[in-house]
Amino acid sequence: MHSYFNKISVKDVEFFERLLGSRNISTSEEELVANSVDAYPGGFYKPEIVVWPESSQQVAEVLRYAYERRIPVYPKGGGTGLTGTVPIYGGILLSLVKMNKIVEVYEEDMQIRVQPGIIYDRLNKELEKYGLFFPPDPSSGSWCTIGGMVASNSSGLKAVKYGTTREYVLGMEVVFSDGKIVRIGSRTFKYSTGLDLLKMMIGSQGTLGVFTEITLRLKNLPEYFKTALSFFPSVQSAVNAVYQIVRRGLDIAAIEFMDEEMMKAVAEYKKIDFPESQAMLLVETHGSKRAVSENMEKCIHVLEENKSIEVRVAEDVEERERFWAARKGAYPATLRLGRYMIISDIVVPLSKLYDAVQKSYELGRKYEVHASVIGHFGDGNLHVHWSAGNNRDKVEDLHKANDELTRWAIDVGGAVSGEHGIGTEKKKFVKQQFREAFDLMLKIKKLVDPKCILSPGIIFDLEEVI
Amino acid sequence: MTLPEPSEIERKLGEYFEDVWKCIRCGFCNSVCPTSNTSRSYMSSLTSRGRIILLQAYFSDILSKSLKDEEIQDLMQYCFGCRRCIEVCPPGVRIPNLIWRVKQLNDEPRHLRKFILTHYGELLRLFSRFPRLSNLLLHSYLGKILLEVSSGISRKIDFPVFNHSLEEWINKRRKSNGSRGRIAYFIDVFTNYHEVELGKKVVELIEKLGYIVVAPPQREAGTLLLEEGLIEEAYRVAEENIENLYNTVKDGVKILTSSPAAYLALKKDYPELLGDTKSRIVSENTVDIIQLLLNEYEEGTIDFDMSSQDQLVYHLSCFTKASGLTKDVRRILTLAGYRLKELDLCCGIGGIWGMNKKYYDLSLEVGLNLFNELKKINLPVASQSETCRIQIKNNVLLDVRHPFSFIVDRVKINME
Repeated sequence: MHSYFNKISVKDVEFFERLLGSRNISTSEEELVANSVDAYPGGFYKPEIVVWPESSQQVAEVLRYAYERRIPVYPKGGGTGLTGTVPIYGGILLSLVKMNKIVEVYEEDMQIRVQPGIIYDRLNKELEKYGLFFPPDPSSGSWCTIGGMVASNSSGLKAVKYGTTREYVLGMEVVFSDGKIVRIGSRTFKYSTGLDLLKMMIGSQGTLGVFTEITLRLKNLPEYFKTALSFFPSVQSAVNAVYQIVRRGLDIAAIEFMDEEMMKAVAEYKKIDFPESQAMLLVETHGSKRAVSENMEKCIHVLEENKSIEVRVAEDVEERERFWAARKGAYPATLRLGRYMIISDIVVPLSKLYDAVQKSYELGRKYEVHASVIGHFGDGNLHVHWSAGNNRDKVEDLHKANDELTRWAIDVGGAVSGEHGIGTEKKKFVKQQFREAFDLMLKIKKLVDPKCILSPGIIFDLEEVI
Repeated sequence: MTLPEPSEIERKLGEYFEDVWKCIRCGFCNSVCPTSNTSRSYMSSLTSRGRIILLQAYFSDILSKSLKDEEIQDLMQYCFGCRRCIEVCPPGVRIPNLIWRVKQLNDEPRHLRKFILTHYGELLRLFSRFPRLSNLLLHSYLGKILLEVSSGISRKIDFPVFNHSLEEWINKRRKSNGSRGRIAYFIDVFTNYHEVELGKKVVELIEKLGYIVVAPPQREAGTLLLEEGLIEEAYRVAEENIENLYNTVKDGVKILTSSPAAYLALKKDYPELLGDTKSRIVSENTVDIIQLLLNEYEEGTIDFDMSSQDQLVYHLSCFTKASGLTKDVRRILTLAGYRLKELDLCCGIGGIWGMNKKYYDLSLEVGLNLFNELKKINLPVASQSETCRIQIKNNVLLDVRHPFSFIVDRVKINME
C-alpha cells in the first residue's frame, strides 16, 4: 500500500455490495490471496477487495467511485499473465470473468463482438460452427480471456502468418478511470479518421482503461494444413533456412525453432527419438489443399538447401499432433529440470537471430545457468528458458542473465517483449527501449488516468506518474 | 547451516510438499477441472489453481489461516480427485494427491462418518449378506435419513440395490477346466455387491476363453479413502490388498479388473502410495477386462459380430481417462460395430463426492452440460465408471451400461 492511495474502508465495501450485490464482491482472505499472483513467479500482492461487475455500467460505477476515493483498480481476466500484473498497491481487483458473453456475431462481416471475460478456447469453439476463428493462439488459450489478450497484445505459435491480437481488434468499448464509457475504433477493416486510439489501448495492460466490449475480425478456418519437422547440423543453418523462407515470401503459418538442449529435454520428457542434430524447425502451411502442398514443397526445398539432415512431413492428423506435442512439450520439459526457471520474451530483427541464440549460450556460461532456446523464429521472437534446476542460490543469476540478454536485444534494435507484455517484470527496460518516447507515454498515462488509479505500478512506476 | 525442522503440516504432505512449489500458476488445470464449471467458480479461491495458490501462500506466511481451518478445508473439498488436471499440468504437479494430503489435515471431529468410510468395505459386505433386508432399509425414508445423518450421504440418492456378493458366487462355483491357467478377479465393491450380473458375465466369458477365474482374498479398492483424505486408512487397505494379490501374482497369475477405480488403484495409486516392489509387480500384472479382450482379439482367439451397426454414446469418465483406458474402450466398441458419439464431460459425481448432502446440488450443476448433451443425443450410453452410471441414470433416464455389457453378446470365440 502507498500513502498516495486511500485504503478500502467498511463504507467502501458497503458501497460495492449495494452496487454489485453480495455475491459479486469478496473480502475473504482466501479470495484475496487467490487473486494476489499471476503466472509470473513474483511475490504475493493482495488486493483489499475483489469485485465482479456484470455490465459496462457497473464497471463505470466502480471506476467512478474509485476515482473519487483515489483507490487503485486492477482489472483482471484469466490471470495467466507472465509479467506480474498484480495488485501491488492493493485496492480493488476488478475481475471481468463474469462478463464473458458473445454479444453479437457478424457472420457476413467475419467479425464478432464479445465481452472481455470470454476464454480464448471457448470463443473459438463457438466460432467453429461458422467456419471462423480468432487466430492468435497463445499457449495459455485454454484459460486466458480475450480482454487479457488485448491488454497484453498476446500472440502465439502462428503469428508469422496471422499476426498478433492487435491485428484483429477493430473496436472496443472502454471505461476510463473517471468512469466515462467511450467507444473507439470502428467495424471496418480500415479507416483514416484521426488518431488511432485503438492501437494505443492494445497492450496497455490495464493502465489506461478497462475494456468492456471488444470487436474482433476473424479468419476462415484453414481448409487444409501440412506440418514438417526439419533437423539441422547447426543453429546457423536452421536460422539461414528461416531467413530464406521469409525472404522468399513463402506463405508459412508457423516456423518454430528448438535448439539441441531443448530437443534433449523434450526427447527425454516425451520419449521421442530425434536424429542427432543441433537445431530443429517445425514448419506448417495453411490454406487450400493445392496451395498448402505447393508451399510445403517449396519450403522443403529451402530446408534442404540449408543442409537439413532430415525432413519429416506429417502423414496424417495424428502425426501432426505428435509434431506439435514435441514443440509444445518444451515448456513442461524444462520445468522438469527444476523449480527455478524464468523465460525471456525478446524479439530481434531476423538478421540478429543467430547472434541472439549465441548470446544466450554465452550468458548461460557466464552465469552458470542452463540456457535452452525455443522461438517463433518467423517473427524473431525468442523464448530462452533459463533454468537453475532446484538451486535457489542461482535464482539471482537467472535474472542477471535474462536482464543482460534483454539489454542486448534492445541494443541491436529488438524489443523487450514479443507477446507477454511488461507488467512489473520488465518495467525497468521500457525506458531503455523507448527513451524519449517513454516520456510521451508517461504524458499520455497522466492525461488519460490523471489520478493514476488504473493498475498503478504496472508498466510505469507510480512515482513517475503522480 | 542447518535447515529448519519441517512443520507438522509439511511432514504430513510428505513428498507432495515439493509439488506445491512446482506449480507455475498457469491455470491449465482450471480449464479441465469439473468444478470450474459451476455458478460460483468465477471465484479464484474455488478453482484448482486457486487451491494451489493458497498452499503456496500458506507456506510463504502470506495466509494467516491454518490449512486445518474449516474455511480452507471447505475450499479443498472442491477437488474431488477426478485427476483430469494431471494430464494438462505442464510441470506435472500431482494436484489430487497433494489435495488429499491437505484434506488429511482436517481434524474436525466426524467420528461416525469416518468410521463408516473407513469400514465401508466391511459394511457393504455385511449388507450384501442380507440383501432383501438391506434394500428394504436403505430405500426406506427412515433408512435414508439414518444414512444421511451418519455418513453425510444425501437422502436424495437412490442407493444401488444389494445382491449376494460376486466373490461368494465365484468361490462357490465349480471351477472350469481352463487350459490357460488361472486369472484372479479384483472386483471392488460396486460389482461385488451391486452390479453382480455384470461380474458374472465377465467371469463366464473369461472361462469360455479357457481361464479359471478365482477371487483371491481382497478388500475394497479404497479410492474413496484417498479422496476423503483418509491416507493412513487407504495405506492400510492398499497394503492388505497388495499382500494378497502379490501372493497370487507370484504364482504367475494375472489380476483382472472391470472397474476403472480398481484398475487405477492397482496400476497407479498403490505403487505411488506404498512405493514398494510388490505393488509395482502387482501393477505390471494387472489387466482390465477391455484390454484382455483386445489382446485376445489381436491373438485371433476372439472376433466380433458386426452385423448390427448401432449408435452409442461413449462417455469418457474421469477415471477411464486417468487410467489411460480411453483408447482401448473406444477401439473395442468400434470393433464390436458401434458408431460412437464421444462425450468428454464430467458427470459431477466424483466417486461419492456428489452423493454427499453438502455437494449434491453442486454435483448436479457440474454434470449439467453432460446431462443436456445426453438428452439431446438420446442414445444408449457406455460409461466405465460405476458412480457415473448412477449419476447419469438418475438424471437422464437413459440406458447406461459398462462398455463390456455392450460388447459381450457380440464376442465370437474362435477357439476349438
